[in-house]
Amino acid sequence: MSEWSLPTLTLNPLAAFGILLIVGVLGGQIARRVVHLPAITGYVLAGLIISPAGLALIDAEMLRSANLFLQLALGLALFEIGRRIDLTWLRRERILLGTVAIGCLIVFVGVFAVLVALGIPGGAAVLTASVAMMTSPVVILEIVRESRAEGQVTERLMTATGLGNLFGLVAFGIAISYNHFEAAHGVEESLIGPGWLVLGSVALGLVSASVAIRVNQWLGGRERDAQAVLLFGIIALVVGLSALLDFLPPLALLVLGVGTRQIERGHTVTEPPLAGRSSFFFVAFFVAAGAQLSPGDLRHFALVATAWLAVRTLSMMVVWWAAARANGLTHRRGAWLGLALSPLSGGTHSLALLGATSLPAGSAAFTGLMLAGVFILEIAGPILTRFALQQAGETPR
Amino acid sequence: MLEFKNSTPLTLGVELELMIVNRRDYNLTRGSDDLLLQIESIDHGFDIKPEITQGMIEIGTAVHTSVDEMLQELLAIRALLVKSAQKLNLGLAGGGTHAFQHWGDQQIYPKERYRLVSELYGYLAKQFTVYGQHIHIGCPDGDAGVRLTHFLARYMPHFIALSASSPFSQGVDTLFQSARLTSVNAFPLSGLMPAVQTWDAFNTYFQKMAGLGIVASMKDFYWDIRPKPEYGTVEIRICDTPLAIDTPVLLAAYAQMLARECLEGEPRPYNPDHMLTYSYNRFQACRFGYDAVLVDAAEQRQTSLLEDMLFTLDRLWPHAEALGCTNAHAALRERILKRNSDSLWLREAYADSGSLSEVVRRQSERWMYGRPTLAVH
Repeated sequence: MSEWSLPTLTLNPLAAFGILLIVGVLGGQIARRVVHLPAITGYVLAGLIISPAGLALIDAEMLRSANLFLQLALGLALFEIGRRIDLTWLRRERILLGTVAIGCLIVFVGVFAVLVALGIPGGAAVLTASVAMMTSPVVILEIVRESRAEGQVTERLMTATGLGNLFGLVAFGIAISYNHFEAAHGVEESLIGPGWLVLGSVALGLVSASVAIRVNQWLGGRERDAQAVLLFGIIALVVGLSALLDFLPPLALLVLGVGTRQIERGHTVTEPPLAGRSSFFFVAFFVAAGAQLSPGDLRHFALVATAWLAVRTLSMMVVWWAAARANGLTHRRGAWLGLALSPLSGGTHSLALLGATSLPAGSAAFTGLMLAGVFILEIAGPILTRFALQQAGETPR
Repeated sequence: MLEFKNSTPLTLGVELELMIVNRRDYNLTRGSDDLLLQIESIDHGFDIKPEITQGMIEIGTAVHTSVDEMLQELLAIRALLVKSAQKLNLGLAGGGTHAFQHWGDQQIYPKERYRLVSELYGYLAKQFTVYGQHIHIGCPDGDAGVRLTHFLARYMPHFIALSASSPFSQGVDTLFQSARLTSVNAFPLSGLMPAVQTWDAFNTYFQKMAGLGIVASMKDFYWDIRPKPEYGTVEIRICDTPLAIDTPVLLAAYAQMLARECLEGEPRPYNPDHMLTYSYNRFQACRFGYDAVLVDAAEQRQTSLLEDMLFTLDRLWPHAEALGCTNAHAALRERILKRNSDSLWLREAYADSGSLSEVVRRQSERWMYGRPTLAVH
């Protein structure tokens, strides 16, 4: 008699995506109904519970299977936040551009200083400080959508998030170059590599924006569904091409978003509401983010991570408090805007991996610091942003 | 007892309700608080205030004897608003309805009166996110105010056709030239003032309504034209907010000429048959604009609205000369002859772009930056 055994199942990407969605919806609803937290926090916690570090219902292989959809989610968010950067407004409202630039600079210097003071190697500190400039576009977009926030704080928060990511990604490219120089690597790794990373990403974003506008114009305003599908297609293509050509996908997508808003007749692209149609990807993205959280890193780097996150958030609050009046806000609302910028960039995982390649000596410290910071802010970030927007009077009463 | 304050006859003032839109997809945005805060930081003496929902703002001019002065003030108010809106990346636009906003998304402005209106009228309060122009005309006393209110009722279709700028509502072409007035119709105290003949009779009517607990002040009447005793004026409330900055001045000039004919011309007996045709004529003008059919109760005939407007303008020429607004008279005549209509302009913008966001973008550009074509002396 032959022995009967269960067949070994390896999940394909679609099944993995389905599981992330189902788990996410349940977690999000429990968070909203039972503990009145943002749905995002529920998605993340649900991911953490089923993760290898929790009940181990999913493993790293399964997360890799769903990676395609997660990259698309991040791409959609970066494109959307890029569309929120209105250069025409920034030309008139230079104080906003100045506030964001000074805020990023102070965050960079503050985080770098505190990390070096706590004994973290300079190379790891400079990369961490670059990432600290970036606020998560996915969290900001989802919290704003979920809480139906509107007003000057929200408007400036969106722009500050987009610009912060732009500045942060460029600083990250330069930081990689700096690290290669420090490690006495060759010219190719020190200059050409990071240059390719930054300039290539920008070029890809601009070319794609130009194509998106032209094809959208040809489609015409009556074909909104076709326009939306086209944009999905272009975003997927840019994500794929960036990976293929070793560019920085977040930078390319951000530039694509900015470009479609700015290039002449870009308004043909600003209309299709992609964010609302992207919630499938966003739910999966947050569950996967929760499943990738690393409690081990938190244990090792809890103190240092708390220190750099505190410096980061306080710096943003102080800068926005000080510049509030010039930005047409009260000081109080300015400080809330600074707090709302807390969520850490959604692409931190991939940036951690990329940055680590430039840091043979300090890579463990860098990735540990990043992942410990991510652990804290994946859970606390959405709560802080929603709280800040409520306090600023931006959500419906 | 409502006291009708004296005001200088034929003086004018206008109020305009404006849309506040974001500059991304040009939907309405809750921007009134931020905008008002920004405006308050600049020293000015203008009347700028919130309206029932947070995607609206209202501006009002001072009292003027000439429409040229009124245009100058409107341009100064616009300059202040544009400066503030630019800082906040907000757009401002004329037009009677926003083309694609969803009424359920609107938020009631946190003010006691609006809260009470919202409580009483439910969803009608949010659906009242529509944008109109009000014209105040000074009257010597309450009796004259009542007489002028009845006199002007006959000409409401003219004002509808001249100002119509709300062809789209909730993302759909309504086929109306002015869809805004449909939102006003839903209120139980809309329509026309009852057929009282004197200010005393009006007061008796008001006391009865107040005694029955139906109204507490004149603000509770949503009539198309109503006496405004605290200002000593008659207020025309039927116009959509026009798309351009100078059209409100033309409409005010037209009201001033008509008022002069009523108050200083041959007295005309009140004809109660006007009440029979009022709603039908009003509908015709909302639906068809210049192409409407007008039922003339006094003459017992049907006529074209366009012809009636041209005939009326010819008759008003001496009053235009007396009031010094012949340029406005000529501009009105040209507008009618060319069948210039804001609704048509909006439909053409949609036909050209296929996008309602683009339509609102263009109408915002027109209100914020458009050069006035009316010659100012």
